[in-house]
Amino acid sequence: MNEWLWAAVALLALLGVLGAVAVRRPFLDGIVALEVAGIDAALVLLLVAEGTHRQPFADLALVLGAMSFVGSVAFVRFAEQEP
Amino acid sequence: MTVRDVAVAVLLVAGVTLQVLACLGVGLMRTALERLHFSGVSTLGTLCVAAAVLVRESFSLIGDKALLLAALVLVTSPVLAQATARAIHAVQGRDDA
Repeated sequence: MNEWLWAAVALLALLGVLGAVAVRRPFLDGIVALEVAGIDAALVLLLVAEGTHRQPFADLALVLGAMSFVGSVAFVRFAEQEP
Repeated sequence: MTVRDVAVAVLLVAGVTLQVLACLGVGLMRTALERLHFSGVSTLGTLCVAAAVLVRESFSLIGDKALLLAALVLVTSPVLAQATARAIHAVQGRDDA
């Protein structure tokens, strides 16, 4: 374990906090938690890529960052239009 | 320990600290708008971590990807925050009516 992987573990633990907000709080609060969780997860992958010196994890981080944005926008649009 | 190692350590600690503060802020705030403020802190944390990777690896493959991730988050985060804030206001307006 190097410092990069320890940082990844720390950020991974934070996903639990954000998951708790998404589960226990109202819908819009959950969307905000989802947005931050997407960034957090992408950072975890980037840190794992650097800590293990493996490129594919960095690719995953990029794809997750992009897809997280798209998914969050979809949820926001849904929340806005909900009667 | 070189200057580069110190810079990487500072950026990494700063990035992780900011991300921890962002996640705790989202967890502890009471309303959705208050939680939304911490997405900006998360963006800054991402920039610091990406900068740490870039300083460590320079413009290698993984350094370029870290740079791309930082650029992506920098562009999409404000767009997402604005869209979310608009949705929160729309929902709150419906609830108040």
